[in-house]
Amino acid sequence: MSLETAIRLTEILLSIALIQQSLEHLSGLRDEIPHYLCRLGLSVLLLAGVQTQWVSLLLFVNALLLLRRFQGPYNGGSDLLSILLITALAAVHFVPEGRWQEYVLGYLGLQVVFSYFKSGWSKVIHRDWRTGQALVDVFEFSVYPASEATRRWASRPRLLCAAGWAVILLELLFPLALLSPAALTIFLVLAMSFHVANFVLFGFNRFVWVWAASYPSLIWLEARLDLLG
Amino acid sequence: MRRTRLEVGCWCGAWVVSFPGVLKLLLPALFPSWRFFDVIGPSPRVEICLLEHPGDDRTGWRALRSRPLRLGVFDRLRAFFWNARWNETLHLANCAERFVQGQTEHCTREIRRRVRSDLRAAGDGAVPAPFFCFRLVFVSRHEGMIRRDVAFVSPPFETFDPLDS
Repeated sequence: MSLETAIRLTEILLSIALIQQSLEHLSGLRDEIPHYLCRLGLSVLLLAGVQTQWVSLLLFVNALLLLRRFQGPYNGGSDLLSILLITALAAVHFVPEGRWQEYVLGYLGLQVVFSYFKSGWSKVIHRDWRTGQALVDVFEFSVYPASEATRRWASRPRLLCAAGWAVILLELLFPLALLSPAALTIFLVLAMSFHVANFVLFGFNRFVWVWAASYPSLIWLEARLDLLG
Repeated sequence: MRRTRLEVGCWCGAWVVSFPGVLKLLLPALFPSWRFFDVIGPSPRVEICLLEHPGDDRTGWRALRSRPLRLGVFDRLRAFFWNARWNETLHLANCAERFVQGQTEHCTREIRRRVRSDLRAAGDGAVPAPFFCFRLVFVSRHEGMIRRDVAFVSPPFETFDPLDS
């Protein structure tokens, strides 16, 4: 995948993710609606490929204003990655063409790899995750299960222990995705399945959209590194 | 053209740095910790109590938002594209966590305004009670048992306040 294609694909997927987020906020509090109306309009322009350089910059300003409005990200990790993607897109349009653009997209791709690896590492060093207790607690009393029926999974500790280890291994081994196109395909399919499962169980719909938007940078990075020749 | 782009980039960078407090908020997004669910800490709940008068006894606490018993395929399909209320519920939980970490003023305001919005929506525009207060309850596992600790009880607020909604 060429650098230009990766940037354009990121723009398209990110704009879809931002449109989805913005529409959800139109039913929010009065003072957040203007911010998201702006974001909605800019995202439509980005999707259409109109003045992407300036639209990306305005989206970055909009992201800063939203950070100030909510005194941080509105919705945790999905918003953090949205901001990172917006910043990377704004930067990639304002750095000199060529190598600097590669550095920006490479940084974004590496952060996506880290998002999995560091998440796996921070789990495996905790005993509760290794024993499966952490996932039992997530289902039993955390705020995340999207329905009362989902809480019943807490009564299946062995299954949750196995699921917890599957998640930890997927996250820890994710850097291997950079080894070859085949490995990348397998890891992206597994990772997207993981995000979809998180949506079904915990209602994290925004994660699916935003992480999908980060994948073109990863596909480009794998091809650019070409580690196994 | 290339120089102009770089100049604009530098100008933006300088603007960001000069924006009060925004750099502190932006840095965690540019250098994220990516520690999702590393420790399952005390889990926040927002509960409310409706009052006829500000001085009434605060009894009859109830969850601000209860989760559905189950979600069907259609509910989930719709939530994939439109999950505004659930994402706001997660935001409220996030506010409760940030409250106990010291971000009290912003988070109290954020929770208070969203409680007001919920109460107005529940009453079809009419308020169900003239005053309310909310409390933050944290649920955790302690020595194998699930326990609930009240971390904060708000003062009474007017349910209808056009200047703060």
